Amino acid sequence: MGRHFCLLALTLAWLPGAGRPLGAAVPDRSVEAIIQQHCVVCHGPSIQQASLRLDTLPTDFAGDARAAETWHDVRDALNRGEMPPRDATPLGRTDRDTLLDWLDAAILEASEVRSGSKSVVVMRRLNRGEYQNTMRDLLGLEIDFVKNLPPDEVSPDGFTNNGSVLRMSPLLMEHYLDAARDGLGRAIVTGPPPPVYEHRAEETVVDKLRTVNWSNRLGRTGTFVARVPEFPDVGHFLLRVRARAEIPEDAPFPRMSISLGYRADTQTPSRKVAEVDVVEDSSRIFEFRGRIEEFPLQSRTQSKYPGLLIWIRNAYSDGSPPPAGEKVSFEQDGKVKEKLVWAEDPEFPKIVVESVYFKAPDYATWPPEHHVNLLPTVPPGPVGEAHSARSALQRFLRRAYRRPIGEPDIDPLLRFFGEIRPDVGSFEEAMRETMAMALISPSFLYRIEDSSETSGHVDDHELASRLSYFLWSTMPDARLMDLADRGRLADLQVLREETLRMLDDSRSWAFVEQFSDQWLDLPGVHRVAINPNYYPRFDLSLKEDMRRETQHFFAELLRGEYSALHFLRSDFAMLNERMARHYGIQGPRGGTFERVALDGQGRLGGLLAQASVLLSNSTGEDSHPVERGVWIRRALLGDPPAPPPPAVPNLNGADQNLALLPLKRQLELHQDNEACARCHQGIDPWGLALEQYDAIGLRRESVLRRFGERVEMHPVDASSILPDGHEVDGAEALARYLLDRQARRFGRALAAKVLAYALGRTLDRRDEGAVDEIAARFEQGGFRLRDLCAIIVTSDSFRAR
Amino acid sequence: MASRPWHLSRRTFLQGSGVSLALPFLECMAADPVARDRPKRLCAVYFPYGIVQRQEGTEAARWNWFPQGSGRDYRFNNSLAPLEPLRPELSVLGGLSHPNGRNMGGHDTADTWLTAAELKEGHLDNTVSIDQLAAMRFGSQTRFPSLVLSTDGGVGEPTRSSTLSFSRTGQPVPAQHRPRQVFDRLFGVDPRSLRTQRSSLDRSRSMLDLVLDDSKSLQARLGTHDRRKLDEYLDSVRQIEQRVGRSQRWLDVPKPAVDASGLHLSADDTTPGELIQTMYDLIYLAFQTDSTRIATYQLGNMNGATSIAGKFPALLGLSGNMHKLAHNARRGDAGAEPLGRWDRFLTEQFSYFLRRLRETPEGDGNLLDRTLVLYGSSNSQTHVNLNYPLLLAGGRGLGLRHGRFTRFGEETPLSNLYVTMLDRLDVPIETFVDSTGELTEILA
Repeated sequence: MGRHFCLLALTLAWLPGAGRPLGAAVPDRSVEAIIQQHCVVCHGPSIQQASLRLDTLPTDFAGDARAAETWHDVRDALNRGEMPPRDATPLGRTDRDTLLDWLDAAILEASEVRSGSKSVVVMRRLNRGEYQNTMRDLLGLEIDFVKNLPPDEVSPDGFTNNGSVLRMSPLLMEHYLDAARDGLGRAIVTGPPPPVYEHRAEETVVDKLRTVNWSNRLGRTGTFVARVPEFPDVGHFLLRVRARAEIPEDAPFPRMSISLGYRADTQTPSRKVAEVDVVEDSSRIFEFRGRIEEFPLQSRTQSKYPGLLIWIRNAYSDGSPPPAGEKVSFEQDGKVKEKLVWAEDPEFPKIVVESVYFKAPDYATWPPEHHVNLLPTVPPGPVGEAHSARSALQRFLRRAYRRPIGEPDIDPLLRFFGEIRPDVGSFEEAMRETMAMALISPSFLYRIEDSSETSGHVDDHELASRLSYFLWSTMPDARLMDLADRGRLADLQVLREETLRMLDDSRSWAFVEQFSDQWLDLPGVHRVAINPNYYPRFDLSLKEDMRRETQHFFAELLRGEYSALHFLRSDFAMLNERMARHYGIQGPRGGTFERVALDGQGRLGGLLAQASVLLSNSTGEDSHPVERGVWIRRALLGDPPAPPPPAVPNLNGADQNLALLPLKRQLELHQDNEACARCHQGIDPWGLALEQYDAIGLRRESVLRRFGERVEMHPVDASSILPDGHEVDGAEALARYLLDRQARRFGRALAAKVLAYALGRTLDRRDEGAVDEIAARFEQGGFRLRDLCAIIVTSDSFRAR
Repeated sequence: MASRPWHLSRRTFLQGSGVSLALPFLECMAADPVARDRPKRLCAVYFPYGIVQRQEGTEAARWNWFPQGSGRDYRFNNSLAPLEPLRPELSVLGGLSHPNGRNMGGHDTADTWLTAAELKEGHLDNTVSIDQLAAMRFGSQTRFPSLVLSTDGGVGEPTRSSTLSFSRTGQPVPAQHRPRQVFDRLFGVDPRSLRTQRSSLDRSRSMLDLVLDDSKSLQARLGTHDRRKLDEYLDSVRQIEQRVGRSQRWLDVPKPAVDASGLHLSADDTTPGELIQTMYDLIYLAFQTDSTRIATYQLGNMNGATSIAGKFPALLGLSGNMHKLAHNARRGDAGAEPLGRWDRFLTEQFSYFLRRLRETPEGDGNLLDRTLVLYGSSNSQTHVNLNYPLLLAGGRGLGLRHGRFTRFGEETPLSNLYVTMLDRLDVPIETFVDSTGELTEILA
């Protein structure tokens, strides 16, 4: 068929004329002519490439949001030089400029018209992470409040804090009510101080189970167990372990893993308390705390193996499987029995457990601090209860609702308190229920901003909430609330200082974790199953280290004074012992992520070479250049490709031999097919440049392919022609290209992502100007992430109602 | 009311009633003696991306999902072969699809499998699913109106929802995805005394009442969008109130004692076989104990980018995620076997479920006799929203006739099947979305 078909004389559907509404751009004759000549062939009445038809697309930019977004895409495609495509008649410079000028002017005008209209505030439900952190901070309890909550909704741009997609449902309400009652039941205590149980152990328990190497000395094998005979069902516990390390010279550190649980016949339900490196050969005390009811506890009915068990093991592994013990006969009570013994392993780093101390419940005072925080005064008698309830609620609601409290807030709760008090046993129980009611009210579950206010900016308390949910994913702390009370947050200098203070606080890890996960789609590592036929030694637990690597890399760029362009290319990586070993480079000796200089190590730094990204966008057997290409465009270039069209035709000449072709050849076939090529020309070349990396993110010289019994090796071909015609060969060249040619585009894309996350909504055309300005200031400051956060917080967009 | 996608049948006493709230609807139904008869149940199970469809006669066609031949003499290919012993209990249905789905994105139709709505070009508001319609009809007669399960859990995002169920107003109903959680909700026993539980429920009721009252005062301070969010909240609170009311009614009826020892309640997405089997076990137990009569289970959604179920075939050694298997099967004969083996794996689990239902006596028949089980997908080949692979099993005690493979033409909308199914369940509707009549071919 081809493009040489007869063009009918068309009249575009844009009728110039009377009563042109503001923001409805009418193209003049020259614009119309250019579109007719260059665009309508493929985007017109006969065919609609990419489902786009330009001759009938409305030009009411302000009134027709969908059409406006489409015109916007048209402008972007022109700007990037992707349209007209390479094989079509080129668009002359003047024509191109005419078209772009018209589009720019129309978009600008429409955006001005629209910004006059009231912006959309959305009541934002706290998402899982925010709810967990807020409950933790409000009640002062480190417990899992969200274990029963379903996963959150994800917005089309990948965020789970987007107010308009986060829904409420009866199932959620049910969980919120349960979690509120459960949390308050533990935070508010009743009665005299509970009995305290303590237990000390110096030697491991030796169980009858002879396949386990029971020992105080933990090497490649070895398990230390302490049995705590008496313990409470609820409350804080304190666990102290005195231990030292035996580390052969230059060997990695052993890693102490501690779990709590019990033995139920043949099963041992348990949960990990912590995992820490043991780095010194002199003894040291390690202290751990937690809530005992968060761990599997046996029921108090009779058990064959009563008691709480503390397991300690050495979690360090050099990748080789633990050796089987050797059978040795011995005599006991006149009978010959067998047991297993394990050979000494001098090369392996070891932990020597010297003693264990367990105490529960562990409270410095009674009632504990979290109780006093909620109920500061004990009513002197029935008469004083209403007064105590009122003052406790006043204090509690201000924190729970994150704003000043008035009578209308307190009244319904006091009414409820009065209603139920006669039926419940104690003041404390009635307060638990009353506070639970506050915790299912919209003022707690949602971040609500008052739309009846007419001022252009949100008020100080609303701003304090925006700030703390942006950087900490939790409620504002006392200082932020105090600043809001005093009206100090209106001062941009104060706002900036607060931003930096909050970034320096350890709670900003919530931002690191949430934002990097959502921006870069790091949980993707868990969606891809690694095929053991291809990677027989791959340890699945490494996936979580991969995700951590990227999070720590993000944190390092956020905390340090580095340019965010390090995401594109960096001379250092953030690695722990396991990740360094995976990459085959010299690195830290322990489980903690540290900065590792990459000079001379033969590995590229930056996101493109991080295993989290490479694995998430692989098939689990091989690379997946299409997924990788989509990822680059979405995460780094801010230009996600359109989703696949409704009907995808089969490839030309598709038969079973296709799968035998080298991948690049398969993708070329993809591109020979016109319907595929339209999109894939803009996707595949990005991913192909990463062909040197296999599914688990390691460098490779050849590609292994299996077809049943048949195994083939194809040489790696990472050369690629990018959509703008630039040639690159391999990840290093791609990184350099991005740094040299696309730094500004990347900077803008990142700024837009952080802004969308900070605002908890999808950005649209109307935010263009704001993004441009923020991106420009980000660039002027040398692309520093800390600056970017401060620029956003002090921007109009962040403060606007 | 014009936007309501279903129409009440004229022959019912509900004629003319607004059905603006679920509650009055439920309560008048509870008084309906017919509905109090032995339970009628509905279960729908969905798998994504479609099945193998290669040229008949080729080696690859042995993995075709649809059987060879038609009518009573059809022959199963490998993919459905595990259902051979269940032939008399099921019908294979070919050629059906939702006309609305034909214009939708290739991977967008899981959301509308049970709703027949059209989600397109930014108009992403769904409508009620058939299971929730049935739940409005007889959900009040069990402790739980319905059981909504999926591998991913929650609701996901429009066109890639991780639930099959949509409420009266088209809101996605969040799915549960952890077996332990499902079990605890269905059968977990509250250790507190009845008196304590009762007063706790009473308090919950007045608490929710007050919260409702109080929240209404917020309305004045909110913009249009936010008012919609608040409505969603208020609706949830109201429904919780109803649930509390339901719990109060059920308080004196002890939860059924169920032995969990044979269940793999800690199965998760790393062990697909155990996980799927356990989910089927839970649906079975919920039916068997009459804890609910309605269940939906989405084995995976078509979000290739985020569904945790995508890796299941790879975990079984099938070289590729679900999406890739489906694409390869479409691309060439070589792709038929891997997808076919995955299809067969799913069929084995499904067959296990049907057999459990059939082996459990109920009245003069068995559980399966009074349960309609719909199994299938909304893609035939990947991206193709036509000719859904569908099986309807069970319900012989409800007037269904089985044992055939029937192919329908494109002019028959899938909604016709839903009208007939709902009719068999005594859900009084005459039409459903785009239905043009009943599907009498499956009736005795």
